Amino acid sequence: MMGYSMELALRGLRRYPKTTALAVLTVAIGLAASMTTLALLHMLSADPLRGRSQHLHLAWVDTVLAKSQTYRSLDSDWATYDYKRLKTPDAEALLAAHKGTLQAAMADLDAQVGGDKGEPSNEQLLATSSDFIPMFGVALQDGRNWTAAEDAARTPVAVIDSELAQKLFGTPKAIGRVVQIKHHAFRVIGVSQPYAPQPHFYGLNAWTFSGNERESIFVPFGAAIDVGLASSSTDGCDDVTEKSKQYIAVDPMHCEWLAFWVQLDTPQEVTAYRSFLDHYAQQQPLGSFGKKPQSQLLSVQRWLTLQNAIPDNVRLNVLLAGSFLLLCMVNVAGLLAAKFMRRGAEVGIRRALGASRRAVMLHHLFEAGMVCLLGGVLAWPLTLLGLALLRMQDQGFTDLARLDVAMFAALFALALAVGVLVGLLPSWRVSMVQPGLQVKSA
Amino acid sequence: MDMAIRPILASLRAHRTTAFLIIAEIALACGVLCNAMSMIGQNMDDIRLRNAIDEGGISVVRISGSEVKTAASDIPRDLAALRNIPGVRAVATSSDMPLDNSGLTWSFGMHPGATMNDIRNAYVEYYLVGEGADKAMGLHLIEGRFFDADEYANSTLNGELVSSGHAVVITASLAKRMWPRQSALGKLLYSDALWYAVVGVVDDVLCSDDGTRDAGGRGFYNSVFFPISPASALGSLGPANPVNDYVLRSTPRDRDRVLKAAVAKLHQLYPSARIKGQRYTDMRDQYFADASSLAWTLVVVCAVMLAVTAFGIMGLTSFWVQQRRRQIGIRRAVGATRGQILGYFRLENFLLTTAGVAIGMGLAFAINIYLIKHYEMRLMPWYYLPCCVVTLWVLGQLAVQGPAMRAAAVPPVVATRSV
Repeated sequence: MMGYSMELALRGLRRYPKTTALAVLTVAIGLAASMTTLALLHMLSADPLRGRSQHLHLAWVDTVLAKSQTYRSLDSDWATYDYKRLKTPDAEALLAAHKGTLQAAMADLDAQVGGDKGEPSNEQLLATSSDFIPMFGVALQDGRNWTAAEDAARTPVAVIDSELAQKLFGTPKAIGRVVQIKHHAFRVIGVSQPYAPQPHFYGLNAWTFSGNERESIFVPFGAAIDVGLASSSTDGCDDVTEKSKQYIAVDPMHCEWLAFWVQLDTPQEVTAYRSFLDHYAQQQPLGSFGKKPQSQLLSVQRWLTLQNAIPDNVRLNVLLAGSFLLLCMVNVAGLLAAKFMRRGAEVGIRRALGASRRAVMLHHLFEAGMVCLLGGVLAWPLTLLGLALLRMQDQGFTDLARLDVAMFAALFALALAVGVLVGLLPSWRVSMVQPGLQVKSA
Repeated sequence: MDMAIRPILASLRAHRTTAFLIIAEIALACGVLCNAMSMIGQNMDDIRLRNAIDEGGISVVRISGSEVKTAASDIPRDLAALRNIPGVRAVATSSDMPLDNSGLTWSFGMHPGATMNDIRNAYVEYYLVGEGADKAMGLHLIEGRFFDADEYANSTLNGELVSSGHAVVITASLAKRMWPRQSALGKLLYSDALWYAVVGVVDDVLCSDDGTRDAGGRGFYNSVFFPISPASALGSLGPANPVNDYVLRSTPRDRDRVLKAAVAKLHQLYPSARIKGQRYTDMRDQYFADASSLAWTLVVVCAVMLAVTAFGIMGLTSFWVQQRRRQIGIRRAVGATRGQILGYFRLENFLLTTAGVAIGMGLAFAINIYLIKHYEMRLMPWYYLPCCVVTLWVLGQLAVQGPAMRAAAVPPVVATRSV
């Protein structure tokens, strides 16, 4: 019976080809709009570091010797930055405690980096500590990472990526060369492959999704402080900080500027680390500032959710496209209902000859399913076109608009689901045709 | 009328499924269309916001690079060099420009000692401007005066991020919000130990910072101006990040040439610095690029949605016409005119559309509430609803036109045939 229903459905498609074409096209547009927006959302919410990120946690303790800094005004409440960063002494204390498998403090800084000759170029610099490179999976293609001893000694060494090496020295073989940062020499000890996880979860204050932005040079944060590099933003400063060092080139000793990430491989380690942080928080003399001890340990996913990393308008577009698809579905249901009811007489005869309601319904459901599958096939190139249009917009994250295998499969699953939903009402309606009545009127 | 409606209702009852689908389609279209149109409107409103500076005549040149060492004496030199470019009417320094996506913000209160977290404060974006900035930007003074030479000379940054002087110029909207029904002149703005007297009120200048414009889009014009002496104007915002704009004003006709000459001149003066020249209109366009791309996307979505709806209506009406050919023939045979047949289908469509939009308006409202709650959406102005309703009525009538004409063309003789 399945085969027969399928055959009837195929015949049905060829009758009234204009209506069929209109229905297929409508489904295709609806599916393409939905899939374009869903594919972007899917790529943006993908795991930034597959295989690693589930072990990474952002650790934060409130140690700022000042009142909590939420500013309020006539129009709105606005908080200062809240990227859960730490002051240098606390980052150093947590590094020294060495309670995680690996741990690193980090901050994104703007720096002009010069080579042997030519103009210095503006680069994103990550001031961090020695565990960053193994912990975040930066691939070294040459040379070595710096050591904890070099961290402690604030040695001016640098790991640069191959593209920066090419730009500064004309060759990726840059080991032993010297880069100039603020008129200070940093020895290149390692060359890495370009590293740009999306989203940039460990430094959301610098950017979230980047088209071509990435850190091209990594240096020990102590050495960065020594040459006078400073963060241009902070989550909060001690009251004793000079005003001019609270906002633009912030005081590293008294202002929060380093994000602290720790690798914890088991739930027991997470629990243990959490109590370690709580204990650390309780030792902070914050009572006189009206604050309770506060600490947080956040997973990558939790952190991205809290920071609202996925732009609002991406979700809004998914909603918009979804409602558009719904409209297309109602429309196609209408078209199919008209198409099916046109053969009321024929169905009446089939019913009179003994076809069951189920058989009639199945035939028409197949037909609806096929319309939507055809729509899905047509939606594929349309989706690729939609994604190409998205990539042409320059919004930082739009470069990620691509269709992966999972979303390609989702497209056809959605097409089938739409087919069944759309077919249900018209098929039921046509299966209710009374055999006798239709035969008589014909 | 009643005579016309009753047979329509009877026939719709016989085609409940298809009638329901048309109504659902129109309701959905109405719900989405109203909100999409209101979003387009909201974005277009933002894009077209008035900005009382001479947008068309301004060029901005920015010098950056941490290797650049500038002395206080360089600024008068640079200004003189830029002023000598033919076509330049005014030139001045400014910490940044309205809508350049970077900016300095502060919170000011109306009472001595006002702290940053005082609820009555106004959160503003401020510009530190050098002498002649009012002319270079083309600000329109409404009340009071712009800064005098002493105020420029005595205002430095002095370890703070705001002026060490005591003079401020604010926009008319901000003046009205802070001191409703009073003149703002001579009133004081406070922040901790700092205080500033309002010496002038200028026509509304936009500010870049989104933080100032939460709560339904107020605060677009929370801009204030402080004077700054040349000695602390350049590179004053931290040694790590010396940023400064030279603002040049010319006629729009001379602008592109002036901009090119200014960039060349500064290249000569600062061979190792990065020098970026921009037309102000481009800065504004860039600021609103996202809003305008969203608006265009929505326009396309609306157009496609209307097309899909129209085709759907056409498809279903064609089906009805075909199904009722015999009845139409009979009506024609017993004396109905073509016009009456046309009218029948038009009226039928009108009734269906009306039912659809009635439900759709409720849906539109519900969607709007949801969007306000979860996204940065403002309340939909009421007139979008009737606009949307009229659009769908017209669309329905246009869509039904083709099938209805075909119905009217059915000859009476069809009645005598047995299909």
